[in-house]
Amino acid sequence: MADMVTSPRRATIDPLKHSPALGGAMAFLGLHRTMPLVHGSQGCAAFAKSLLTRHFREPIPMQTTALTQVTTVLGGGGALAEALATITAEHTPAVIGLLTTGLTEVSGDDTATEVSQFAASHDGPDDPVVIHASTPDFKGGMQDGWAAATQAMVSTCAEPGPVVNGQVNILAGPALSPLDVEELRLLVEAFGLDAVVIPDLAGSLDGHLADRWSALTTGGTTVADLRRSGFSQATLATGSAVSRAAETLEKLCGVPALVYDRLSGLESVDALVSDLADISGRSVPRGVRRWRQRLADGLLDTHFVLGGVRVALALEPDLLLAVGSLMADVGAEIVTAVSPTRSRVLGRLPVPEVVVGDLADFEQRSADGGAELVIGSSHVGRVAEQLDVPHLRMGFPVYDRLAAQLRLGAGYRGSLSLLADAANCLLEHRGTRHGASLHVKGARAGDTCSAPFDSPGTPLPIPGETGSHVTKEVSSC
Amino acid sequence: MHADIPGLFDEPTCGHNRQKDSKERKKGCPAPKPGATAGGCAFDGAMITLVPITDAAHVVHGPIACCGNSWDGRGSLSSGPDIYKRGLTTDVGENDVIMGGEQKLYDTILEVAAGQAPAAIFVYSTCVTALIGDDMDAVCRAAAEATGLPVVPVHAAGFVGTKSLGNRLAGEALLEHVIGTQEPPASTPYDINLIGEYNVAGELWPVLEVLDRIGIRVVSKVSGDARFAEIAWAHRSRLTMVVCSKALLGMARKLEQRYGIPWFEGSFYGTRDMSQSIRTMVAMLGDPALAARAEQVIAEEEAALRISLAPYKASLAGRRAVLYTGGVKSWSIVSAMQDLGMEVVATGVKKSTEEDKQRIAQLLGPQARMIEKGSPEELLRITADTGADILVAGGRNQYTALKGRVPFLDINQERHHPYAGYSGMVQLARQLDLAISSPVWQQVRRPAPWERSDRELSDRAPGFVRRPGAPELQQHKDSQQHKDSQGGSGLTSLTASAPGGQSFQGGEDGREVA
Repeated sequence: MADMVTSPRRATIDPLKHSPALGGAMAFLGLHRTMPLVHGSQGCAAFAKSLLTRHFREPIPMQTTALTQVTTVLGGGGALAEALATITAEHTPAVIGLLTTGLTEVSGDDTATEVSQFAASHDGPDDPVVIHASTPDFKGGMQDGWAAATQAMVSTCAEPGPVVNGQVNILAGPALSPLDVEELRLLVEAFGLDAVVIPDLAGSLDGHLADRWSALTTGGTTVADLRRSGFSQATLATGSAVSRAAETLEKLCGVPALVYDRLSGLESVDALVSDLADISGRSVPRGVRRWRQRLADGLLDTHFVLGGVRVALALEPDLLLAVGSLMADVGAEIVTAVSPTRSRVLGRLPVPEVVVGDLADFEQRSADGGAELVIGSSHVGRVAEQLDVPHLRMGFPVYDRLAAQLRLGAGYRGSLSLLADAANCLLEHRGTRHGASLHVKGARAGDTCSAPFDSPGTPLPIPGETGSHVTKEVSSC
Repeated sequence: MHADIPGLFDEPTCGHNRQKDSKERKKGCPAPKPGATAGGCAFDGAMITLVPITDAAHVVHGPIACCGNSWDGRGSLSSGPDIYKRGLTTDVGENDVIMGGEQKLYDTILEVAAGQAPAAIFVYSTCVTALIGDDMDAVCRAAAEATGLPVVPVHAAGFVGTKSLGNRLAGEALLEHVIGTQEPPASTPYDINLIGEYNVAGELWPVLEVLDRIGIRVVSKVSGDARFAEIAWAHRSRLTMVVCSKALLGMARKLEQRYGIPWFEGSFYGTRDMSQSIRTMVAMLGDPALAARAEQVIAEEEAALRISLAPYKASLAGRRAVLYTGGVKSWSIVSAMQDLGMEVVATGVKKSTEEDKQRIAQLLGPQARMIEKGSPEELLRITADTGADILVAGGRNQYTALKGRVPFLDINQERHHPYAGYSGMVQLARQLDLAISSPVWQQVRRPAPWERSDRELSDRAPGFVRRPGAPELQQHKDSQQHKDSQGGSGLTSLTASAPGGQSFQGGEDGREVA
């Protein structure tokens, strides 16, 4: 349905895009006892680590080959070998998730050979599996990195073997929050099935206090899980970013792949639930039916609020499709949908066109379309402020609100939760506007905590994550 | 690379360098170790130093990783323009890598100049664009001509070195392209430069207010809440203060060489250091009337501070802290915490010079531990060993501390509270007190009830039902709780409460603490 358009502008202003290596690293963080290793200069890892830390509010394991000008010119192979050996000696990880960068891809390093040499000399039971994904910074974005990493996981580890009945793979896409992943696992388990989740961010980055600090991930998919994924009865791939991994599993191990473009909205979840009933040979459990009823009811309740509301979205492709379609499902009008990168699934979004661009495009089109609600990461906050509209935080990075990893958006329950959040965001803003009109001019508009007739006083410069000295606040969620 | 990088390594004011012979100096700073490196690259360092110039546009010439993963992540605040917050990049793609990115950079600069109306444009090279050999200087010259704006090339691609080298390269760019290019509207004998102060969390503002009351004019800031023009007229100042920055000492030295501006190194953290910095300032400016006013303001501020700090001092006295932060802060924050009556039992010296270390030894006494390698495991071990109440470090270690159930205070650029100057001291005291005395520690350190009873139940016959208030179990629980809630150092009581080898503090090796 949708055409892909780009702005003729040459400058990128307030990028929506993140590097593929960051997306790949995030996927690797869903594996147990893992260290992502970014093959590039030390900043390549440092920026990604810092942003992931701000989003998840968790320690993020990540290392770097710390290339210098000299090691780059001489070839980064030596630095890579040294990094692999050092990480193995210091941390004994189960997996090292290796990601390349623009630097190593331009300088033409033969990373694959280095990795196989390391693997040949480190094949003991305690030695790590090195999973290598090619993620040049100048090609694609976060979601492409996630695709490369998940495909590398299964192509490196999955083993063909006799089918284990009742075992299914969930290939988790980047549109799912860690809590979404858990919801999905519970849904699959509700049918008596054994779920192999790849990668399992619910096990590692769900924000849990483990017994002790660890230099590696403290949960997630094990190497044994990756191996046995080849024995599964079927693969449920959630999003286009993991469709390549699903195809790989089908080709290598003969596991049939079922790909779901999105898992938000009544009908799309129905498709998954019907398949689960077929695979398990069981009828749909009572609890699942109940959540379906709740979502159906929620669609009715929220359509009064969200129906006809002009929504603007800036999200990674799979999430854009999921959230955009859900908003359309409830009758909202999508005035603009901006994606950082191209993706084939975006054609399925029920809008005339999808903009591949940055937040300057987003701001322009949101303004032109008279957006009443913007949905996107914390970076979108500035646009919401400029347009004075409510902002529902979704996607990556969310650093100015807590519990980003617990935001639900998939499954019956997640869809309902997302609809309610969007509606409440709008209602709160409407309430605020009403209250704000009673303030004297210059009051902080978003100050919902003070009573309408409170004297607003002089706003103090309260430094926040994104705040500047002179801050105009809008209500945001 | 354009800047004289070997020349930068040969910095005479660098304490590290003074220890080396001439051959060693040429090798430059030690290279990072692959697989065991934390921290940013030279590009990151250059951005840290220059991005706080609020009315300038900062254009990153490189693939998306360099700008896309880092923009809007810095804590420097502005009292006016916010162009510096925009993420501007050429977002170099595969075709640009093959065909060269110069035209795209030129077009980008022109669009930014037209669309954002900046006072100047800084253009940063990155690894990929340095590697493919884009001639950034030529593009910047052409763009400057076309736009009529200063367009400053910053050659600090990530792979040339560490964050600190990036700070220095940024300083070089200012010296070469900016300082001395404009004249201030007016000059007084009380004009000074501040170098290395980035207005993180707005902490510069209260300091400026105090200096203003004395009559000292901070005309140029590198670069907290700075405007481009003020840096361009830094050559007219009478004095430079280098604020907690080893990396930019060379810049101060060159300002002295070229323009005869004397400089000194100081800190705004802690009552003693703040007052000391003011006294050095007025002494070097050499005006007795100014000095008298300074003494008066210092006396007022210190008196007011004594009153506001009293309640915090009572609660913080004798508390122990492990400090892990780079270079200069390893001693400047020490003095601030000692001013609060705290004991700093260990401090990081990874980036400190020999001079820094001597200062630390003087401040802390001979028994203080100096942390050379601050891996998270090591920090947790030292915190447990020393019975420290809090870890004070950079944001990178925040979750190390939290996952180790150790109170934490963020001291670096990502933090949200202003700690500089007299008012910053109150904020520091308050945040330290809030962190240490938070009610959350006791709750999260105590194992879940069933984790204790699981051990007991395993000895019991199957089918045993634990009744609430069963005397045997209750007694055990009480004694545990009693230990848990004993005051003083939270960590000592924690390790006491975990006799079964279940120490939460021992780091990976799980070692017990005596």
